[in-house]
Amino acid sequence: MKTILQIEDNHANRLLVERVLEPHPYRLLHAADGESGVSLALEEKPDLILVDMGLPDVDGQTVVTLLKQIPDMENIPIVAITAWPPDKALEMAQQYGCDGCITKPINVKNFPGQIAAFFTHNDA
Amino acid sequence: MVITPASSFTFEQLTDAYNETRVDYLVPMPMNVARLMEYCRVYDVSLESSVVAVEEDVVQGLGMLGVRQDRAWITRLGVLPVGRRKGTGSALMAGLMAGAEKQAAKTVWLEVIKGNLPAHNLFHKFGFRETRELIVARRAPKAELNEATFDKVKQVTALNHEDAIILLSHRQERPNWLNETESLQNVRNLSALLVELKNGGRGWVTYHAGLLQLTRLVVEITVGDPTEVTEAILTVLHQRHRRQDSIAENLCEDEKWFGFQKAGYFDSFRRIEMKRPL
Repeated sequence: MKTILQIEDNHANRLLVERVLEPHPYRLLHAADGESGVSLALEEKPDLILVDMGLPDVDGQTVVTLLKQIPDMENIPIVAITAWPPDKALEMAQQYGCDGCITKPINVKNFPGQIAAFFTHNDA
Repeated sequence: MVITPASSFTFEQLTDAYNETRVDYLVPMPMNVARLMEYCRVYDVSLESSVVAVEEDVVQGLGMLGVRQDRAWITRLGVLPVGRRKGTGSALMAGLMAGAEKQAAKTVWLEVIKGNLPAHNLFHKFGFRETRELIVARRAPKAELNEATFDKVKQVTALNHEDAIILLSHRQERPNWLNETESLQNVRNLSALLVELKNGGRGWVTYHAGLLQLTRLVVEITVGDPTEVTEAILTVLHQRHRRQDSIAENLCEDEKWFGFQKAGYFDSFRRIEMKRPL
């Protein structure tokens, strides 16, 4: 079973992702800020990390920067989750070395497919 | 709806309310308690002059007021989803303006994120007018440095916090509230680099080097082409701090901005600075 780490401070957004992914065979972990997100990533070595770009302690870009500099983490796909306009979100994701970005609010119909695509791409 | 001084609330309550106001913003910028406390300390926010709107024991919105001599600065203004479309923003603004008058401010400043039309319109309604557009720029550590730029550098001198403050206090350009010397004096452990180029160009950068981020960047050029010297200064800076993510707030779109871009910075979002005399 694939493990997904969601780093998201907003409770409602967290619950939405949990509900949308519930029917799918994923183990979902959650961290509410950047520091605990990095700690959990180091402990659990998830297969995919979803990072909200706006976090209360240190912003998502800096979390991605840190994770990408840790040798054990560099090959784990990281997806930016943001409410920015799609072109700005994509630019930010590319600059910081994210493997993709998904804009908020998530599209509940498309979201499981978007997540599955990251695993397919990574397994290929 | 009752407008209450923010000093009647704990930082935990203010943080929760603030984060709730930003929940659906394009650039949400949530904070934890430690960050909000630091924000209030660095930017001289007076909680006595800051306001919280409450209706039937439920917080509807809040706004904060920084005060320095005869100037005031409105910040962190936001309305929770539960408080929208019932005049909460106007009530908060009226409370903040009254607070600024009570503090004998002659001018009130603020910034609004470009594209936030409801807030922008509200500030117009209260008599604020645009002064300039400011860029919030970022640079990821993986951005490449132009190695050829190093060849242009003749000398680099590293300075400590006290020297950085002296440089900042002699700036030619009018800084924004965030980058005023009063703000940066409140930041601990600033650093500075004085850079001289072989062609006579000179300038400096002051900054705060955290474990993960370079922040509080201010660049000033004293001699030479602003674009070239800015790029050289930032190249030296990022060669020394290769692993940190960098944020430069409230830059103007001028020749120095081209230098920032050449050093790997990109436009993250923009703010509109506004002011109103009292």
